[in-house]
Amino acid sequence: MTDALDHGLWPWVALICFGFLPSEVWRMVSVFLARGIDESSPWLSWVRAVATALLAGVVGKLLLSPNGALATLPLWGRVGPLAVGMIAFFLIRRSIFAAIVAGEAAIIAIGYWVG
Amino acid sequence: MFMSGAAPHPDPALMAEAAEDLGGRNRRAWFLEGAWQALAGPMLVVAVSLLSVGGLARDAGFSIEVAVASTLVLWAGPAQVLFFGAVAAKASWPAIAFTISLSSVRFVPMVVSLLPTLRTKRTRLPTLLLAAHCIAVTVWAEGMRRIPSVPRDGRLAFFFGFSLICILGTSISTAVGFVLIGELPLPFVAGLLFMTPIYFVATLTRSASRPIDRWALILGLAAAPVTEALAPRGLDLLVLGFSAGTGAWLIQRALDARARI
Repeated sequence: MTDALDHGLWPWVALICFGFLPSEVWRMVSVFLARGIDESSPWLSWVRAVATALLAGVVGKLLLSPNGALATLPLWGRVGPLAVGMIAFFLIRRSIFAAIVAGEAAIIAIGYWVG
Repeated sequence: MFMSGAAPHPDPALMAEAAEDLGGRNRRAWFLEGAWQALAGPMLVVAVSLLSVGGLARDAGFSIEVAVASTLVLWAGPAQVLFFGAVAAKASWPAIAFTISLSSVRFVPMVVSLLPTLRTKRTRLPTLLLAAHCIAVTVWAEGMRRIPSVPRDGRLAFFFGFSLICILGTSISTAVGFVLIGELPLPFVAGLLFMTPIYFVATLTRSASRPIDRWALILGLAAAPVTEALAPRGLDLLVLGFSAGTGAWLIQRALDARARI
């Protein structure tokens, strides 16, 4: 399959047909779904809760079954830094920046210590 | 840096006219304000957390142009990771398209919840479609937090300034990642991949203003191991979103009902 990528236009066709279109269709559909919904609609709070839960689920999946370099760390080495980051978040005036710095410092340190 | 809306005026008709006038003149200012707010943090985080996409694209045998184009047209980190990862793993094209489509269903609740806060009665369809294209996880999470404090007439301008800077910065980082990722030591690559989880959890916690937001976050995280084990592969995120989101919504309803008694 990768050999096919050498042929001029094929990578672009593949990106558009098998990447862009199957993904973009949902955004386009949503524009029409959003039409009838008012900003104050009670449905909106349900939709927003589903979106938030989905996002939390993406995070959970990234930590539970990671790929690439994250997979070289044990589970505690992925969940621990998240806890460290959130402790920093609450200690330092709910700062997103503090959470990132503390979490990153923790995971890089663990990476060197484990590896 | 943050601007206030138009000053109150006694006559509603005159006020509407004045607001429209101000909106026209202020649109560029709100665009720049959005761009500035993205530059001040969120753009850097998305850009850095998606550096690895460039490396993945190179591993899968794509050129740097296609890698950068994938950020512009897909504008969906997980879908890009899936696409290049699956091509590298020599998955079949229909299977790749199907998995990507499944992963992007998550945009539905995001677009449906953000668009009503952005649009005015006069917003045209092409503008809405373009806005929908710009919505990805980061833009959504930050948008839900920042848009309500922007006056209605400036919202779309603010949103486009904000999201275009995010897309532009991430396109550059895709190219940088393409060139650079092989040179980085493993713990730092792990650190790059970890940007997404820590950033999302911190952003969602920060923007959670009601119990329903906090419960959606907690239930969503807690449900991940359960759906991963029980739900059919590829569908687990959808099952998770629906069940944990509905759970949070029911908790909020119960809290509201108790508050009324």
